[in-house]
Amino acid sequence: MSITLDQVTKHYGGAPVVNDVSLSIGDGEFFVLLGPSGSGKSTLLRAIAGLAGIDHGRIELHGRDVTHVAARKRGVGLVFQNYALFRHMTVAENIEFALRVRRMRARARRERRQELLRLVALEGMDERLPAQLSGGQQQRVAVARALAHKPEVLLLDEPFGALDAKIREELRRTIRQVQRELGITTVLVTHDQEEAFAMADRIGIMNLGRLLEVNAPHELYARPATRFVATFLGAANLILARRTPDGIQVGATTVAPEERASGERENEVVAVVRPEDVELAADRESLGCGFLANAVADEIVFTGALERLRLRLEAGAQASLLSSSDGETHSALQVTRTQHERRALEVRPGQAVAVGVRRVHLLPTPLSSFTACAMDEADTERLSQQGLLLMLAQRMKTRVGMRVEPQLGQPEAPCQGGDTFVGTTVIAAGAQAAARAEWLLRRGAHDLLVMPADAAPPQRVLIHWIGEAARGATLAIAASLLRHVPAEAVYVGIVAGDAQAPSPQGMRELLDARSEAKAAHGLEMRTELHFGAAEAGLARRLADNPGQMLILGLCDLAGFPSRLGALLDGRWPVLIVHRGTP
Amino acid sequence: MSATGIDSHAAEGRPGQHTWMHALVRVGFITVSLAFLAAVLLAPLATVFIMALSKGIAAYLHSFSDPDTAAAIRLTLLTAAVVVPLNTVFGLAAAWAIAKFEFRGKSMLITLIDLPLAISPVISGMVFVLLFGLHGWFGLWLQAHDISIIFALPGIMLATMFVTFPYVARELIPLMEQLGNDEEEAAITLGAGGWMTFFRVTLPKVRWGLVYGMVLCNARAMGEFGAVSVVSGHIRGLTNTMPLHVEILYNEYNFVGAFAVASLLTLLAIFTLVVKTLVERTGYRRR
Repeated sequence: MSITLDQVTKHYGGAPVVNDVSLSIGDGEFFVLLGPSGSGKSTLLRAIAGLAGIDHGRIELHGRDVTHVAARKRGVGLVFQNYALFRHMTVAENIEFALRVRRMRARARRERRQELLRLVALEGMDERLPAQLSGGQQQRVAVARALAHKPEVLLLDEPFGALDAKIREELRRTIRQVQRELGITTVLVTHDQEEAFAMADRIGIMNLGRLLEVNAPHELYARPATRFVATFLGAANLILARRTPDGIQVGATTVAPEERASGERENEVVAVVRPEDVELAADRESLGCGFLANAVADEIVFTGALERLRLRLEAGAQASLLSSSDGETHSALQVTRTQHERRALEVRPGQAVAVGVRRVHLLPTPLSSFTACAMDEADTERLSQQGLLLMLAQRMKTRVGMRVEPQLGQPEAPCQGGDTFVGTTVIAAGAQAAARAEWLLRRGAHDLLVMPADAAPPQRVLIHWIGEAARGATLAIAASLLRHVPAEAVYVGIVAGDAQAPSPQGMRELLDARSEAKAAHGLEMRTELHFGAAEAGLARRLADNPGQMLILGLCDLAGFPSRLGALLDGRWPVLIVHRGTP
Repeated sequence: MSATGIDSHAAEGRPGQHTWMHALVRVGFITVSLAFLAAVLLAPLATVFIMALSKGIAAYLHSFSDPDTAAAIRLTLLTAAVVVPLNTVFGLAAAWAIAKFEFRGKSMLITLIDLPLAISPVISGMVFVLLFGLHGWFGLWLQAHDISIIFALPGIMLATMFVTFPYVARELIPLMEQLGNDEEEAAITLGAGGWMTFFRVTLPKVRWGLVYGMVLCNARAMGEFGAVSVVSGHIRGLTNTMPLHVEILYNEYNFVGAFAVASLLTLLAIFTLVVKTLVERTGYRRR
């Protein structure tokens, strides 16, 4: 492996900007770190170069641990967004700088310089000053300079950001060509997905300091695992669907899922439909694929090869559209059509069409949507407007529904809204919370968020489960939640007994939990060990610091209110994951 | 066709603009500025040279052969030769610290650097008298060890250094902040160490700003009157700088002598301005 990162973490003023990133990049690989601005990708690149220190973790280059090695001794080549050429030196002096530092002979320097200038197609420019070159030429010089000392790794920090589209394309091709020719391991940082697709062997997508997914470009596009990746890479329509024994029910149609996950219970899931996978027809009968809903064309934009449409689904359509990648209009379905499709059925604004889907991809995320639940309309409304809840819903590009249960918490009373609970149910924290939580869990709710009125975004999420049956689901939900909040994940292991005689059982559980979180969900967790009773230990740990949240897995509801009442009294948010018999 | 029509209109001025009014305003402003400049700047400057040459070129040249005048010129040049390099080193260090590092008390340091510009030069001189004078804090100790600072060369240099130390730092801080750290970081990833990065990258990068700051510092060091006047003691041939010497000669009704020295100072100032303009032009073209 050329570059190995192990749990790299970097904080700025308390908040993690790079959060537990682990990654291996192979020899000669062209790896692209893609993410929105502020996602931590540039900081990560600077950490690899040695220009930024890290607080935690390890960095290896070619098997050599360089975590504490100075930048000048790491032997990497770095190319900056604004070129950073030495403005008082000629092109030749710029390129030879690294060679001069290494006291190479003048003749050897000149030969190497000419070789590099040929490589980046700038022969004969030796005596120019950077100010006399165009932006594209300057960046070529910067690439040549970064390669002069034959570094093992080439790092590019948004190298095309300041260039116009045509030059960008040309330089992109040059860099890819140079990289292939030299077989040098390369990491490129960008926020431009088109650039990432065009250049990468593999793409790693970062958001809020976390490395969310790493895969080949086409795999990431076709089968994203997270909402962020689905909507950040190209356009995507997120649609709430239902997983049933027959397949995936999206709107009025049921499609067979691409990858059959066995043993899944019937529940709500998030489906991704790419705009090019939507088919339009004059009526339902003439669709060549599964019918989704009827819709009206709102906006039609001609973009050359493709036509982009925004459709409004008709009221009463069974499909509930969460969001498209622009995130603003919740009810607009994005569609792109080729000229060929456009000729077959011309659509004008205001025209009604039947919408079908050719291909549906399911996100493996266990958090689909939120439903605020309280005893009357006003309380439900207030709860659904809670700040942290809205933030989570917005980040997850999902919605907050409402459900009124007048008899919430009264023993033996039936559910008003039927016994199906979709997504995560949210109740207010407080003295009544434990009784209400039990009431809902016994009536079929699986995931329950107990939310204090003044809860702020957590900086640390504690994870614990009571009973091994809840482990998988708790880890899956924790991983999903932590992709959307820039917080640190801590698994709290609680071992019965005392510190003098820890049981080997407890230690094994701890290690198992960590490796499962990493392997199955890509979640890096810290682990802590506490001794004594679980509930008391958790309450003590949560009271230590403000800004914490608890994710608690349960499989047994016996003695629920008395055991967990103290955890749900409103000092922190608690997400209860219940798997097992109601 | 229509495009060229619009262009030719644009060349004549903005729509709705009266061209004769525009011309009137322009001529008015230029006249006012020139008249003001002539009255306040050119007339006094001319007076200096007219008075200096009023008794003929021979008398003008003769006034420089006076040993006290020669001593004053030597002292001024010596002071500038010591103060400017010291303040250059200080200015570089302060600008580097402020532009490249984050530390507590950074804004305090920036304010303190500006302090000599805000304080009256006489006060700056008084401070040194209060510290090192016979009745000052260190006065007795200095006397016991036979070290003279006030009414001697060290005092003059200290006072000059105090009033001129903002110039280099103030010139470099915004420049370094604007140019950023990228070139230095590039040099480091290419394998250069700290000294090499400083001498091969940072220093050449800011050299025009540095020269400009040094020129300003030098101009002030040679022309300083107030602070130096307080600490020098006006001992002829020993602690008289050029500006002080001008005053003494004038008070003795030696107008030709006074204005001759003044004309030399003026020429030095004009020379400094020419250097400054050249630096600005070169620096602008190279940047």
